[in-house]
Parts: sequence; structure tokens; C-alpha cells
Amino acid sequence: MKRFVFAFLAAFIFIFLWGWFYNGVLLKDVFAEVQSLFRPREEIMSLFHWIIIGQAGLALSFVMIYATGFAGGGIAAGVRLGIMLEILAVSARCAIYATQPFPAKFLVLVSVGGFIEMIVTGLIVGAIYKPAVARTS
Amino acid sequence: MDWKKFLIAFFAAFGFIFVFGFIWYGTLMYGAHQEVSTLFRTKPDFPWLILGHIVMAFFLTLLCAKFVPAGGAGTCALLGILVALIYVGAHLITFAVQPITSKILWGWNVGALVQFAVAGAIIGVIYKPSVPATTRV
Repeated sequence: MKRFVFAFLAAFIFIFLWGWFYNGVLLKDVFAEVQSLFRPREEIMSLFHWIIIGQAGLALSFVMIYATGFAGGGIAAGVRLGIMLEILAVSARCAIYATQPFPAKFLVLVSVGGFIEMIVTGLIVGAIYKPAVARTS
Repeated sequence: MDWKKFLIAFFAAFGFIFVFGFIWYGTLMYGAHQEVSTLFRTKPDFPWLILGHIVMAFFLTLLCAKFVPAGGAGTCALLGILVALIYVGAHLITFAVQPITSKILWGWNVGALVQFAVAGAIIGVIYKPSVPATTRV
């Protein structure tokens, strides 16, 4: 349980920092090109708690899936899980592209960031969380 | 991996995900989406929508096959719920940054939970690798 909590906290902190750095700093100009599809900055700041809750939920779900089905495989299993979950996210982005007027370039760049995010999250969770049997052997 | 059962499970999951998506997001939530019509295309780009659903069904089936090699509706439905919780996290973040209504947010969240839980259960029922035959002496 202790390692589960550590893995969750580490994953959440990484997702938060990466989300801020990639989407907020590196892709700032790309987001500015589609500003009409987003809330004004002040409104986003007033709803910032939903970003925190969403990212915490994402990290918690990742660790739960890893702990219940992939934990024996270590870092490699964590990375594999991250890749599979990101491909599922890309499939959702295909549906977003089909229904919302986002330029393809925007969704491709967001997906590149998503792959890095989920691979590193898998690496972190795989390195920290070890099932009880694996730890005692 | 039993590829024949895997493919049948994938096709069944794709059929369900696509039909559910059409009824839930495309029909029942049509009015809610129209409240913020500027965020959506006037007509969905169907090839991308179909591709997204194919990838979604394929990787959910793959995840179930890796996560629950023995199959089973309950366990695969649980995995579906955990995967849906990742989508719920992403929806909460979307709500913070895009001007969607709370009706759309909760509609998407409930839709994802039902869609992935039922799709997981369908995969779990169909994908059960055959047990190797044993000989009694």
C-alpha cells in the first residue's frame, strides 16, 4: 500500500509538471492558434482545480491498472501499459478530430506529448510499485 | 494468444462501442452538444470517427487479453471501468480548458463508464483462451 501511494504521488507530480511544461510552455503558441476553442485564461484559472482532480484521477487509474494486472513485469510492463493506454487516448483524439474543428497538427503534437507522458509515467510506476511477492523474493 | 477468439471479441467490442457511441453521444447528447455548437463540426468526419473506434476496440481487447488472460466478464468489465476512469480524468481537464457545459461533462463521463464497462464485459465473455487438454492416466 505504501508503494502504491508513492507510485501514485510520483506519477501525479510528473503528469502535473509535464502537462504544465509541454502544454503550457512548449505548445503555448500552438494553443494560441486555436484560442477560439478554449476558455479565456482567467476562466481556466478559476477552474484549475478540475485540472488537478483530472490529473490525479488519471494517475490513480494508471497505478490501479498496473497494480492489478501488470505489476509483476516491472519497468518494461509499466512502459508497455503506458503505450497501450496512450494509443487508447489517440483513438479518442481521432474521434475529437472527427467532431471538433481542431487542426490535425494540434492533435498530433498533443499526442506526441501524451506518448512521452504515458511512457515516463509507466517507467515511474514500474520502478516504484512492486507486488508483495516480488519484494520478498 | 487465441487469435480467432481475439478477433471475434474485437469485432464484437467495435460493434458495441460504435453503436453505443452513435446512440449516446450522437443522438441522446445531440441537444447538449448543440448548446455549444461552435465547438463542434457541423458534420462529423466519419472516416476518422470509425478509425478511432476501431483502434479503441482493438487496444481495449489487447489490454483485456494481456490483463486478464483467463477472460471473464466481471474482471474485464472492471478493467473497462479503470480505463474509463482515465477518460473521465481527461474529460475533467477538457472541462477546465474548453467551454463545454457541465451537462456535456457528466454525459461524457457516464457514457465512457458504461461504454468501457460493457465493452470489457463483452470481450471477457468472448475472449477465453481454450485450456490445453489434459490426459487422465
